[in-house]
Amino acid sequence: MKYFLYWGCSLEASGANYLKSLKPVCELLGMEFEEIDDWNCCGASVSYAGARDLSIRVLNARNLALAEMQGGYDIIAPCSSCYIQLIRTNHELREDEKLKEKVNSILREAGLTYNGTVNVRHIVDVLYNDVGIDRIKQKVTRPLSGLKVAGYVGCQSVRPYGEYDSKERPRVQDEILKALGAEPVKFPKKMQCCGSGIFLPEMELCMGLVKDILEDAIAHEAKIVSTVCPMCAMNLELYQGRINQLYNTNIQIPIVYLTQLMAVAFGLDLKEGAFLHMNYIPPEYVIKPILMQGGDSK
Amino acid sequence: MISWNNNALRDVLKEVDYAEEIYKCIQCGMCAGSCPLRHHMDYPPRKIFALLRTGNIDLVLNSKSIFLCTSCYSCIVRCPRGIHVMDIMHGLAHYAIKMGKISRKNTATFGQEFWKQIYKRGRVDEKDLSRRYFFSDGIVQGIKNALSMADMGIIMLLHGRMKLLPEKPIKGIKQLRIMLDKAEQESRR
Ligand code: SF4
Ligand code: SF4
Repeated sequence: MKYFLYWGCSLEASGANYLKSLKPVCELLGMEFEEIDDWNCCGASVSYAGARDLSIRVLNARNLALAEMQGGYDIIAPCSSCYIQLIRTNHELREDEKLKEKVNSILREAGLTYNGTVNVRHIVDVLYNDVGIDRIKQKVTRPLSGLKVAGYVGCQSVRPYGEYDSKERPRVQDEILKALGAEPVKFPKKMQCCGSGIFLPEMELCMGLVKDILEDAIAHEAKIVSTVCPMCAMNLELYQGRINQLYNTNIQIPIVYLTQLMAVAFGLDLKEGAFLHMNYIPPEYVIKPILMQGGDSK
Repeated sequence: MISWNNNALRDVLKEVDYAEEIYKCIQCGMCAGSCPLRHHMDYPPRKIFALLRTGNIDLVLNSKSIFLCTSCYSCIVRCPRGIHVMDIMHGLAHYAIKMGKISRKNTATFGQEFWKQIYKRGRVDEKDLSRRYFFSDGIVQGIKNALSMADMGIIMLLHGRMKLLPEKPIKGIKQLRIMLDKAEQESRR
């Protein structure tokens, strides 16, 4: 199973533990990755301040065109913002001939064209639909038995298309968590937005959103939160101290990527495979006791 | 209906992508209840569209709501009329900045810096982005801003989640800029 992995700008920096854990996990599951040569940023969710819609579509069409030219494998985007920008552009170009012609006339300035043949996928989609729950279960050597996880979905991985999961009641991430032996908890704020790309400039306001999400997860007995987006992860994790100061609360809950939990359950090294030491709030204090029950804490 | 005497409204319809869809709005309020930051908005999207239709362009361009969209896509999913609510909000913010009406300076600056990075390099360098964002008011305020966030930067650095080397431009940066310039021209037509 060969794919393009479009990791985008933040997985090279603030989301490095996502990319690092995703690679060995996917390799173990038999996936092969290539990089789209000379890819560019997707525009994320704040580019609108400086650009009109067409510019952002062109930005993404360039990546699609490069992928088509370089082999046409499905593109996996682990960042929800990259995912939504790419898949949205793909949808619009496939459905709107006029737009496609306009965008292509611009791409041709750089000797590129896009015919609409490449598929854009979220990593969760590929794990669930291509790899499958059975195969994931087969690879589990250290089940996360009894680990109560809040599988946070947020916005941009299932909205607006609901390509691989329900837009209002997503369950795919929870199915994967169950396959790892963990116990996904139900919490109503699973889909509430974390503030996304405007968290940093609107920190005061967005901290309230994160506070609500985390308090909800904790009230429903989650001991750890799993995410599938570098922006969600950063917003939920990095500002907990500030939130506690501002609201006089005592929130402290580790935030991990789904792929980090998979790495743990697949028996990979906590450091060299799951990269837990890169998290700001150490997840080890929740994960190690679970592994100890199973007699393994390496 | 559209009053073509109203130049300001005509400009909005021309400069804001998807703005013509405001005439499909039935004022049901589904979008208004969906915005995560709705409690901080002066006018929810529903009201923004009503204000536009009645020609209250200044109120809209000066409103902070247009900068408080988190791009959560809830309105897109829920609007019974299939209106690109989010995109209109984004377009209004873009147009407001262009007209020098910047009710949320931080968010406007952050978004503009983000786009500048893309135009300059084809990719975004998170650390350069935050540096430029913090220092947009000059060096003195910049140091103050950066210091107020220093704890965050240090935490990120200690955990290997900040890149040390500056991002180089992509190989096709020249062509990318040609494409983006052309897209910008086309948008204005
Ligand atoms: S949901 Fe759609 S139709 Fe309803 S008020 Fe909002 S924009 Fe108008
Ligand atoms: S995308 Fe923007 S306008 Fe739409 S519901 Fe979310 S915050 Fe509101």
